[in-house]
Order: sequence, then structure tokens, then C-alpha cells
Amino acid sequence: MAEQTQFLTKQSLMREMGLTEQEIARRKAFLLFRDEDVEHLRGLHELAEKYADAVIEDFYDHLFAFEESREFFSDPAVLARVKAAQKQYFLRLTQGDYGTAYVEDRLRVGTAHERINLPLKLYLGAYSFYLQTIASHILQEHRNDPAQGLPIFLSFLKLVLMDMGLAIETYLHQRERTIRAQQEAIRELSTPVLQLRERLLLLPIIGIIDSQRAHQLTEQLLHSIRAHRAKVVVMDVTGVLAVDSAVANHLIQTVQASRLMGATVIITGLSADVAQTLVRLGVDLSMVQTVGDLQSGIEEAERLLGYQVVKAADEVG
Amino acid sequence: MRVPILKQGNYLIASIQDALTDTDLLQLQEELVQRVGAARTRGVMIDVTALDVMDSFASRTLRDLAHVIRLRGAETVIVGIQPEVAFTMVQLGLLLEGVTTALDLEEGLALLDQRTKGDARCDR
Repeated sequence: MAEQTQFLTKQSLMREMGLTEQEIARRKAFLLFRDEDVEHLRGLHELAEKYADAVIEDFYDHLFAFEESREFFSDPAVLARVKAAQKQYFLRLTQGDYGTAYVEDRLRVGTAHERINLPLKLYLGAYSFYLQTIASHILQEHRNDPAQGLPIFLSFLKLVLMDMGLAIETYLHQRERTIRAQQEAIRELSTPVLQLRERLLLLPIIGIIDSQRAHQLTEQLLHSIRAHRAKVVVMDVTGVLAVDSAVANHLIQTVQASRLMGATVIITGLSADVAQTLVRLGVDLSMVQTVGDLQSGIEEAERLLGYQVVKAADEVG
Repeated sequence: MRVPILKQGNYLIASIQDALTDTDLLQLQEELVQRVGAARTRGVMIDVTALDVMDSFASRTLRDLAHVIRLRGAETVIVGIQPEVAFTMVQLGLLLEGVTTALDLEEGLALLDQRTKGDARCDR
């Protein structure tokens, strides 16, 4: 069951990344990866098997020489497991059949590395070691005629380039997924309408406003005005870093609609950038009351409502 | 449907209970404008709480009505515009320019009291 689930997620990852059979074929064509390359790589398999253990040991010695990579393998149990996986990965390079199953396996490896936050520079940099080791072994094999070794090495290089491409895409895909999830979270954060005093509401707006959120915000504010019988609303936009004309117009419409319901809206915290953008966009803010900062806005609102805030000490004195 | 117009002190209160045809609206306008002069009226309140639609004709008629009543020497407050109605109006560009609005009857009365305070002709 667990295996089946894993299989399914791998399948869906392939689908999400758009790696169909045709796409894989297109990539190979672009990399000039042809049948003779498969033959060359297959021909290397015996050699790879012979030296695999030594290569892996050398590889980890190389990784341990650098502090950045060393810290990923501090646990001996993990190290043993990783070495076994690395050997498998290495041998798979020369096993032939570089189709869907191969790509799927590479994506799995990429995802695993992304999950432990291995920096891409180390992941890709490690290929340099592989290339160098393989090159020296191939040259060793063909020391009598180095010219024969070159095409074999090139085949290996093409495959490594394909692997690298897949690795980078796996990383990007995971990041994009994270970004999407965060955007979703931001959107779901409702815009709170807070009652500050009787008849006085505070609407703090933070982050990116798109039309959907702007609409939600308006609806919430207008209903809150009725529910709280608000007369004054302070809309604080200190946390809004950018507006476009659509959003600006929407905010103005909100202000006007609030007025129709008998409430005054005071906008506070328009940043220099936003203010300049609004003027450049030609948005008419003349009918909107704006105050520099939130404190002044609340003070102005209190004045409109007839409140006077007095320090307790002053009152006694 | 005719809109009943109630007299309360120096104020006239027209409470619209149902969707009005254009003819009804014009009739309301005519009647209010006439009565404002007749009974020392200082304020007029039009309650639109029951309306869930306000088209451009209704909106324009109410705005004109408010302006005419001002010329006749009284204040007008339109009360009870629903949230959805308010936003739809704004999107249609119907802003009721120069017209005072309030949340509900209670607010409207408080606002009229405030506006007409110190008025020589006001009994209160």
C-alpha cells in the first residue's frame, strides 16, 4: 500500500512537471543523446561496477574535505545509507534504458536532496567530481588510443547534463510549490475589521491586494459598518507596499460605498511610493480623507466622534 | 405603491417599503417637495432600508430631491443603504453627491438634530 502511494506520488510529480514520454524524447534530442550514446554508456557498465566502491569512497572523501558538505553526513547511519544510495545512483548511470523509469528515479533523488535542503551548488558541484573520476578511468582504459575514449566520455557528459537539468527542475518545482502554498495562505488570511471604540472601526491592510482580496475586504468592511453601527473607519495601508490602478480604484469605491452607508473613512499610512504611484496613475483621491500615520488617523477619528483622550494623571490634577 | 410620509416634530420621514416604479418615485418627490414648505419642516429623512436595488433613475431622483429640499430650506438625510446596494451604486458611479447619508433612522435623526441645532425656527 505504502509502495503504491509512493508510486502514485512519483507519477503525479512527473505529471505536474510535464515530463511525458514525448517530453523526455524531446529533451534527449536536444541534448543530442542518441542510441550510440546508450551503447557507449552500457559499455562502461562493467568498468563502473569494477570501480564503483572506490569511486564512492573517493567521492565522500571529497565531500568531507569541505565543511559545507560535511555537515550533511554527521550521522554514521545516515552516511552508510547515503553511500549505498549513491552507489546505486552511480551504477544506474551506465545501466542503459534512459526512459520514463530513469527520469522518475532521478526526480526521486532530486526531491530527496531538496528535502534535506542540500544547496544546489553542492548538488551540481558534486557532478564535477564524477566527471573527473570517470574521465580518468575512461582514459586509463583507452590509454593506447585516447581518441576512442572521447566519444564515450561525451556520452557520459550528455547523460550528466540531463540529470543536472532534472535536478534543477526538481528544486524549482518544489520552490514553486512552496510559493503557491504561501500565496494561498496569504490569501486565506482574512482581513480583520476591528472595533477600536464604539462606532470606530480599524481596518489594517497588510500585503498584496489583488482584486479578489479587495472585493472580500470591501464586503467585510461594509457588513461590519452595519453590524457595529460604525460612523468612522480608519483604513491603515502602512503594510501595503504597492498598488495598481485597479486596486486603488477599488479602495476609493470602498470609501464611497462606506459614505453611502453613513460612515467616514480615513486612510492612513500611504507610503511615499504608493502615494506617488497613485498620483502618477491619475487616481482622484480628492474626496478621500488621508492622514499620515495610524496614530494621527485614530486621533482624527476620535475627534470626529467627539472623544477626547485625557491622561488619568492630568484629569486628577 | 405610494410611500407614506410621516411627520415627526419638524421632520418628515418617508419610509420606502418596496421597490418603486419610476412613477412612484416622481410622485414621492413631488409630494415631499410640496410638504417641506407647508409645515415648518427642518429636515427630511428617506429610509431605503428595504430596497435591495437602487438603479440610476432612483439614485438621481433622490439626489435631485435632496438638492431641491435644500433650496426649500431643509436638510435631507438618506438612511439605510444596504452594503451590497452601496457597493453596486458606487460601481455604477451613483455617488449621491452632496447628499447626507446615515446608517439608519436613529443615526439619521441624530444627524438632523445636529444639523438643525441652534436654528431659530426649531422648537426643540
